[in-house]
Amino acid sequence: MVDISITGLSKSFGPTTVFEGLDLEIKDGSYVCLLGPSGCGKTTLMRIISGLETADSGSISFDGGNIDSLTSAQRDVGLAFQNYALYPHLTVEGNLRFPLLAPIQKGRWTEKELGARVSEIAELLEISQLLNRTIDQLSGGQQQRVSLGRALIRHPKVLLLDEPVTHLDARLRYSMRSELKRIHSVMGTTTIHVTHDQQEAMAMADQLVIMRNGRIEQAASAMEVYSNPMTSFVAGFLGDPPRSVISVELGESDGKPVAALGGVLLPLGEQLGASSAKGGDRRAFLALPARVFSTVETEGSVELQGTVCAHEMIEGAQRIVIEIAGQRVNLQDHSDRQVSNGDKVRLWVNASEGMLFDGSSGLRLN
Amino acid sequence: MARVKLTNVGKVYPNGTSAVRDMNLEIRQGEFLCVLGPSGCGKSTTLRMIAGLEEVSSGTIEIDGENVVGMPSRERDIAMVFENYALYPHLSVFDNIAMPLVARRTPKPEIRERIRGMAESLGITEHLRKRPSRLSGGQRQRVALARAMIRRPKMFLMDEPLGHLEEYLRIELRREIRSLHEATGGTTFYITHDQEEAAAVSDRIAVMYQGEIQQTGSMADLIERPANRFVAEFVGEPPINVFEGISVQEGRLEIGDCRIPLNTDLSDACRLQPPGSAGIRPARLSVAGPDSHGLSAVARSVQPMGEWGAVLCETPAGEATAVVPSAALPAEDARIKLVVDPDHVHLFDARARNIRFAGN
Repeated sequence: MVDISITGLSKSFGPTTVFEGLDLEIKDGSYVCLLGPSGCGKTTLMRIISGLETADSGSISFDGGNIDSLTSAQRDVGLAFQNYALYPHLTVEGNLRFPLLAPIQKGRWTEKELGARVSEIAELLEISQLLNRTIDQLSGGQQQRVSLGRALIRHPKVLLLDEPVTHLDARLRYSMRSELKRIHSVMGTTTIHVTHDQQEAMAMADQLVIMRNGRIEQAASAMEVYSNPMTSFVAGFLGDPPRSVISVELGESDGKPVAALGGVLLPLGEQLGASSAKGGDRRAFLALPARVFSTVETEGSVELQGTVCAHEMIEGAQRIVIEIAGQRVNLQDHSDRQVSNGDKVRLWVNASEGMLFDGSSGLRLN
Repeated sequence: MARVKLTNVGKVYPNGTSAVRDMNLEIRQGEFLCVLGPSGCGKSTTLRMIAGLEEVSSGTIEIDGENVVGMPSRERDIAMVFENYALYPHLSVFDNIAMPLVARRTPKPEIRERIRGMAESLGITEHLRKRPSRLSGGQRQRVALARAMIRRPKMFLMDEPLGHLEEYLRIELRREIRSLHEATGGTTFYITHDQEEAAAVSDRIAVMYQGEIQQTGSMADLIERPANRFVAEFVGEPPINVFEGISVQEGRLEIGDCRIPLNTDLSDACRLQPPGSAGIRPARLSVAGPDSHGLSAVARSVQPMGEWGAVLCETPAGEATAVVPSAALPAEDARIKLVVDPDHVHLFDARARNIRFAGN
């Protein structure tokens, strides 16, 4: 149960820079999800916090105390991985006890205390009836519980979870999410959960941290990040379907602010137009949620023409990716019309409900 | 562009394991058909029988009207893509893709021309001179796809081609597979255990379990009109709620403390086939205040996911999940009612068939 403060963290593997000068503050007792595409540095960051990996420069402190020189065992962190990494030759109880028998723990636990701690954690994770089983007698969900139990047995200051839910089947994934939150509320341990699944991150995080290319794009509450993205990357990464992010040229037409896409001028409306003046650059990114596109003409919308470059059924609606002047937009079509790649299609868009981002920095303008 | 017809196809392995039983399936000309099923359901065995890599124990497989049982694989004019790429490590990417054309003595200038076009559409032009070992998993699978598609065979057989790629690569590549399928006009038989992928790429999905086809249709059919309890539970996310210990009395379905009036057809069908369980999709449950009519529930876990969120509930009939718009999400531990839409209740008989569609 600690505040975690990360300052100026840098790490390279040979010529590959994972991150440079990364800063992040994590509040005591919060549940943090690190979300980003693979290669964004989220797992490396977690491994550095755990002490399994060392940073090239920068520092990490728990409650203000620098931990850079501490070994993994001394940092008092609990770790649970996607692949469980349990000891197959030990029973469930043997696996749970294991961290308490480590050399660093020597002499800290009487046999009675040890037994009490095992029962407490087994009860919390609802695996008391499995204590004498061997690991190969357990289902995937049960193994994940044992792995969590082992991570929690020492009551660590920080719990680190690497894709803890990914391997489970759909039914277990939803219930394991709620289990993890329940355990978190009982134990109060500051938790960092690495995932590539945005729904999982949205469902679980108090603080959602979006990473890309070793940079933190945005760190805030899940709802804030979702509805108020601060960079063009976050705008296009989240959402279901994800927002369409297109490169446009800002300008004016008849004294009104517009964004030019190919030869088409999209009126930005007053609010968005006012913010468009802020960008020094005339090039900008315009992020448009699926709902502003339509297959029929609506009030205030502008007609676009494009070519279908992909189409797929997702959750009962057809998602059509349309290329317009070299840019791709996602159209959500609830009709059952048939389309094929290469088809020319017409669609309508109302850009005034979009978001604008600076063309070079990608930072939010409105 | 082949048409494939499997009639009463069975496969029994020498050890007595029956992998595929009495299978009837038609893959239409130019169709993209996905077989979706859990591991061990017999889907790969089916593909291998169509390919000629596995002997057929009983029944016939026709390609364009000709029974191919006993015909060697190479004469069937099909191309295959597997999860593990199966590229030749000692050959360059170019030579790997050229292999099927070289084997058929295609003139060299034509080989170069066709590989150029194929490499361009799959975005691997810059890698043509490299060995496969220098490529990433996604790039290797593109090479495997290029090699399969270069020959313009009658039919493509793909066995979990995106199996161990990362999510964003899977989305990118499944779009390319679909796009190549449309461009070549080939017939594609595609195996996956991933329902989102199946829905995204295919024209039709066949759900397979324990060696048998359970149902064939669009994803909407499988979601809204599941033929049996297996299909209902296997397809859809979050998974369907299944309530045991239900009963139908006087045309009303009792689930926990909730009574749901059924339409006449369904309640008549229940008289002939008493239901053993009821399935309701999470999206077909809505959340209402504690004084409304519905199934009493306590919202144990509330999981907002953007526009929508999931609510995991405890009810007198067991656990239930509802998926509702984020604005309608209750507070955690709130007492609520889950309101059931009677037109979207699936009742399963003693043999787990969906009573609504089972007939007799």
